[in-house]
Amino acid sequence: MKKIILYLSFCMLIAGSSSCKKYDNYPEPAETLTGSVTDIASGKGVQTETGSGTRVKLLELSWNDTPTPYYFYSEQDGSFKNTKIFKGNYKISVEGPFVPLVQNNASGTVTVDNSQVLNVAGTSHVDFKVEPFLNVEWVGEPVYNAMAGTVTASFKFSRGTANPAYQLDITDAYLFESPFPYVGNNNKDDRYSNQVSYSGASGSALLGQTINITTKDKLPAKTTLYFRVGARVAYGLNYYNYTEVKQIIIP
Amino acid sequence: MKSKLYILFLALTCLTSACKKLDIAPKNVIQDPDVFSTPGGIDIYMARSYSELPIEDFRYSPERGFNNFWIISPFSALTGEALSRDQTRAMPENFNTDPNNESNFWAMSYKLIRETNYFIEILPKYSANFTEAQVNNWTGEARFLRAATYFALVKRYGGVPIVEKVLSYPEQTVEELNTPRASEEAVYDLVAADLDFAIAKMSESSVAGRANKYVAAAFKSRAMLFAGSIAKYNKVNLFDGDKNLVCGIPAAKANTYYKASYDASMLLDGKYSLYKKAWAANDQEAQYQNFVNLFFDVASPENIFVKQYNYPNTVHGYDAYNVPRQLMGGNGYSSELNPTLDYVELFDGFPKNLDGTIKTLDANGNYVLYNNTLDIFSSAEPRLRATVILPGDVMKGESIEIRRGIYTGSPAGGIKKFVAENSTSNYPTTNIVQSANANQTPYKLPNGQLMNPAGKSGVFTAEGTAAVSGFSIRKYLDPNMPTSEVLENHSDQTWIELRYAEVLLNRAEAAFELNSSGLGGVNYQQQAFTDINQIRERAGAALMGSPVDLTIDVIRKERRKEMGFENKIWWDLKRWRILDKEQNGKIYRTLMPFYVADAGKYILDARLDERNVRYTFDPRWYYEQIPAGEIAKSNKIIQNPGY
Repeated sequence: MKKIILYLSFCMLIAGSSSCKKYDNYPEPAETLTGSVTDIASGKGVQTETGSGTRVKLLELSWNDTPTPYYFYSEQDGSFKNTKIFKGNYKISVEGPFVPLVQNNASGTVTVDNSQVLNVAGTSHVDFKVEPFLNVEWVGEPVYNAMAGTVTASFKFSRGTANPAYQLDITDAYLFESPFPYVGNNNKDDRYSNQVSYSGASGSALLGQTINITTKDKLPAKTTLYFRVGARVAYGLNYYNYTEVKQIIIP
Repeated sequence: MKSKLYILFLALTCLTSACKKLDIAPKNVIQDPDVFSTPGGIDIYMARSYSELPIEDFRYSPERGFNNFWIISPFSALTGEALSRDQTRAMPENFNTDPNNESNFWAMSYKLIRETNYFIEILPKYSANFTEAQVNNWTGEARFLRAATYFALVKRYGGVPIVEKVLSYPEQTVEELNTPRASEEAVYDLVAADLDFAIAKMSESSVAGRANKYVAAAFKSRAMLFAGSIAKYNKVNLFDGDKNLVCGIPAAKANTYYKASYDASMLLDGKYSLYKKAWAANDQEAQYQNFVNLFFDVASPENIFVKQYNYPNTVHGYDAYNVPRQLMGGNGYSSELNPTLDYVELFDGFPKNLDGTIKTLDANGNYVLYNNTLDIFSSAEPRLRATVILPGDVMKGESIEIRRGIYTGSPAGGIKKFVAENSTSNYPTTNIVQSANANQTPYKLPNGQLMNPAGKSGVFTAEGTAAVSGFSIRKYLDPNMPTSEVLENHSDQTWIELRYAEVLLNRAEAAFELNSSGLGGVNYQQQAFTDINQIRERAGAALMGSPVDLTIDVIRKERRKEMGFENKIWWDLKRWRILDKEQNGKIYRTLMPFYVADAGKYILDARLDERNVRYTFDPRWYYEQIPAGEIAKSNKIIQNPGY
């Protein structure tokens, strides 16, 4: 009997004193970082795709100079908000379909660095004004062709940067269609979305001109579809620049 | 009395103990002297290293990695060479991204690099046991293995940490051991230096499966061609904090590397030759047979570096996974590799439209009627027949029957195309009978005979184990293996990792690039022309008339034809940096034969893959993702762009 009590009290001692309550000795990430990526010329948000377009890069400088970067993606319109950031001192930049904020010369020296260093505490806000590779704009509204059951989009693209190093050939323009508003290169319906490729400088010859692209096949009836045009230059990860999303109700 | 006992005890303990060493090596672990004192021991050490060498052979797939038996998502189905039931999208190497996966390539490679470094460091201590020639040869061999491993790393990740010594922990501190990524250029230079050492020190011949001077030279021609292509075509650059270019090579280095590739390939001149044992001029049948035999003759003068298999000890399942459906073995696998029409259209010898696509319609847009499905290919390039089983061609004594369905409408006035050009929609069901799977219901033809709607090897509408592209693979399939033995882990044909044809293609490409950048001294254009024509002559293809006909596309196309289904093309398309342009929502083409019941003839429909399988190559994949676990281990390893 005495032994059992001894064992029991031993067990209780172990269970009661070990494993404390705290899981971590560091405050949980509770700070909020909001911001935007806007076109320096027009002041409008740089359109991108969700999940694989513009992303925010955070370097936490409080502990060392070469931290492992932390990334998160922006919204479709270039704005971003993350409510689970650790308190700290960050070097923040963004990557996407625009002239890079951090540029190197051929020997690796950083020649341009428009990153921003910020103490993130409470709610912090950071804005990036960038030069998109291309401005892609609607010309009028996309038109539903009742006979063929297709949609024709009119748009034009123009250079968003005057920097000749980033005025590259336009490789293709793409009319994206999706049943969801988050439409883009990573979320499109291949049956209807239509791509037009340009070889060499033939795309650059179309700068500023109105271009039409029509969806490929007969669209389903009695539904709401979302459309968007993207165009891109062959730079880096071949990001698309986009128009805003338009909704069309197919009768 | 007691004191005497103590004295005796003391005497015994002091005088008799400690005579033997207690600090002895464990008897159950093989020690360095056991391995490094006889050539047999060295062979065993090398055998292990070779078995770990990253070769994309019969046991490799981008889904499951190296040395895996289950190759049902074949590499060739990533490049447009083939369509496969189990590979229905573009992707990077998938086995690589799982941080906990032991087969993650990064971790696997550094094990082998350590083994080679250890060998290089330890062998000199035992050099008294061997002749100088032996020591040189083996040191060269170890450096060849290290070069091959670093090349496999750099072609995936760009610059990686260079480790040329055996690292010891805890003797060395973590700070000492924490190695950052070297520049991509530095890794290629290490590969070149190791191979140069191997070329200088190794003997001229070796047993099959092991390296020698010329294997190293051939390998160098491959690796340096990669480096040159990266320098010339890569657009993605990544610097680390110390200004090392870990992704990308300065464009100014392109010619240096192309020249190194060219020079290395010249070393093999006269040492190897294209396989032509069964070849005869102007004899398509002989040229076809010769190209088939090329992959089975162990004494082929074309084989430079091979990986051997031997049933039942080391085996693979290439035949079981890839035979046409009607020759299916007991495991129920077949038809994993179905060459696309895009691949077939690279070849010549059958009617073509102006844009290079196969011509199966007449001037009025009606299908041409053929007596059988093979008619159109009757004078096709022999190499095509030897690489691909064309519908109706013979394999293992059987005619391989590939038919999509039976057209039951009237052929009078011509049959119009069933579905629009560039449409992926299914075939209409009016006037066409088809089969959902291999359990077919025969259709009664007008003459009273019964015929299954689909061929014995497909194509079925609901079962993918069939020739989904209208073709089946022939290259590397054992033509003599009885169907009862077509089983998983039962094949043992030799994998030819490097053959002389590749060296010729390497040289032609390097020469062309050097010529187009204006480098003189040698008549590079003439060299490229001669090399390509050698390949074409053996293949039974039309020869080029003049060196000025050469373009980079001619050379690349020749490479895709010659090296197809040898697990090389994906890397080529990557180093040329054209895969993201080729695969941008790409649907590959197929050729679907139909039997026209009323005419008793066949029609062939060229169309986009009815399964609507789309390939989009993400440009990030030019540099693969470094496994997250490796990034987490070291603050000096930076991730590749975009991940």
